[in-house]
Amino acid sequence: MQAMLSFDQAPPLAAPLRFFLSAPLFAAAAGLLLLLLGPELLASRWTAGALAFTHLLTAGFMLQTMVGALLQILPVATGAGVARPLGVARAVHGLLTLGLLFLVGGFLTYRSELFQGALLCLGGGVLIFLVAVGRALAQIPMGSTIQWALKLAVAGLGVTVLLGLSMLVNLAWGLSWPLLEITGIHLAWGLVGWGVLLLSGVAYVVVPMFLLTPAFPGWLTRLLAPLLFLLLALWSGAEAAGWGGAPLLAALVAAGCGTFALATLWLLVRSKRARLDATQRYWRLGLACAVGGAALWAVGQLWPALGLWPGLPLLLGMLLLVGGFMSVITGMLYKIVPFLIWLHLQNAGQGRVLAPNMKRILAESAMARQMAAHAASLGLLLAAVVRPAWFAWPAGLALLLSNLWLLVNLWRCLQVYRRHLRHIGEQLAAAA
Amino acid sequence: MSARDEAALVVDARMMEPPEPFVRTMEGLDELKDGEKMLLLLYREPHPLYRTLVNNGYTYRSQTAEDGTVEILIWKVAA
Repeated sequence: MQAMLSFDQAPPLAAPLRFFLSAPLFAAAAGLLLLLLGPELLASRWTAGALAFTHLLTAGFMLQTMVGALLQILPVATGAGVARPLGVARAVHGLLTLGLLFLVGGFLTYRSELFQGALLCLGGGVLIFLVAVGRALAQIPMGSTIQWALKLAVAGLGVTVLLGLSMLVNLAWGLSWPLLEITGIHLAWGLVGWGVLLLSGVAYVVVPMFLLTPAFPGWLTRLLAPLLFLLLALWSGAEAAGWGGAPLLAALVAAGCGTFALATLWLLVRSKRARLDATQRYWRLGLACAVGGAALWAVGQLWPALGLWPGLPLLLGMLLLVGGFMSVITGMLYKIVPFLIWLHLQNAGQGRVLAPNMKRILAESAMARQMAAHAASLGLLLAAVVRPAWFAWPAGLALLLSNLWLLVNLWRCLQVYRRHLRHIGEQLAAAA
Repeated sequence: MSARDEAALVVDARMMEPPEPFVRTMEGLDELKDGEKMLLLLYREPHPLYRTLVNNGYTYRSQTAEDGTVEILIWKVAA
C-alpha cells in the first residue's frame, strides 16, 4: 500500500525551497549592514541604512518565505495549486532577489538607475506571482474562510507593491509626491494587509495541524480577514484625506491584529503536545512580541512623551519584524522544511524505501540553539534602539550569526534529502 | 447508517502530527479486507490525501461534525 503514495499536485521541492533557503541570507545581510554602518543606521527610521535594513527584512526574509509558503500551502489547504510551479518559482525568485538587491543599492547610493532596476524587477516578479496565484485562487469555490484570508492577503500584497512601486517611480525620476503619507500606508498594507492576513490564513491550517491545538474559533476565521481588510481600506482613505477619524481606525486595525495574536496564544496554551518544541517556543515569542508591539503603539498614541520619541518607530519595527514576524516564520520553517523533505523522500521511495523519521531530518537541539541566538539578537536589537552607541554593533553581529545559523540548519535538511535520495536510487537499482 | 457504523476500522488522527496521519491511513487501508471500509478522523480536509485515494482506485465520503471533526469514510471502488 505504501507504493500508492503519489503527490502529483505537490510542487517540486525546488519550488518552495529556493525561497526558504535565500530568506536567511537577506536577514543576515541586514545584520551585516548594521554591523558596517553601526549607530548611524539607527539615527531615525528614514536613514538610508534603516530603509535598506527594513527592506532586507520585509521584502527579503518575509516576502521570500511567504511567497514560498503560499506556493506550497495552496494545494494542501485548498486543493488548487499554481500551474507550472517550478517555472513560476524560478522567475519570481530570480526577479524578487534581483529587485531587492537593486532596491537596497538604491537606498544606500540614491542612484536613480538602481531604483529603475528595482521597479522593473520587483514589479515583474510580483506581477507574475499575483497572476499565477490569482488563477489558482479563482478555481476555488467560495465559502471557505481560509480561502478568504488567502485571497484578501494576495490583494493586500498587490496594494502594498503598487504603493511601493509608485514611490520607486518618484525616486527613479525625481518627482515630488507626498512620500511620507504614502510610506505610512505602504507599511500598513505590507504588515497587516499582506503579512497578518497571510499569516492568519496559514495559521488556521498549520497551527492545529503541527502544534496539535484545538481549531481556531469560527467567528475569528470568518471575520478577521474581511474586517481587517475593510478597516485598512477605510484608514488608508482617511489618512490620505487627512480626516480626523484616522487614529481611531488605526486603533481598530491594531486591536484586530492583537485579537488574532491573543487567540493564537490561547490555542497554543491548550496544545495537546506534552512538551514545548522549538516551533511552539518560536510562536509564543513571536505572538508575545506582536501583543507587546500593539500595546507599545497604543501607549505611544496616548502618552505624547513616548509618541514623539524618534526611537519609537524603530523599537516598534524591531519588535514586530524581528520579534513578531521573523520568530513565527522561522518556527514554521522548522516544521515545513523537514516535513516537505520527508514527503518528497517518501514519494521518491515508491513505497519500497521508507523516508527517515522527521526528527532525524533536523534535530530538536539544533533548532533550540538557533532559537536562543535569535532571541539574543532580538534583545540586542531592542537595546540598540535605546542605546545605539553601545549595542548597534553587537546587535548587527548577532542578527548576522543567528540567520547564518538558520541557513546552516535548513541546509542540513537539504543534505539529508540528497543523501537519502542517493540511498533510494541504490536500493531501487539493486531491487530491479 | 452512520459512517462510524459502516467502518470496519477507525483511524483517529486528530491528535497526530504530520506525517503520522498519512502513514496510519496507508497502514489502515493495507489492513482492510475486500468490501470493508475505513473511517479517518481529522480536524481538516486532507486535500492531498483525496487526490492520492482517487488516483489509486479508492473513493471516499466526508462530512464535518459539530465539533469540527472531519469524518472521511474510505473504501475501494469495485473493479
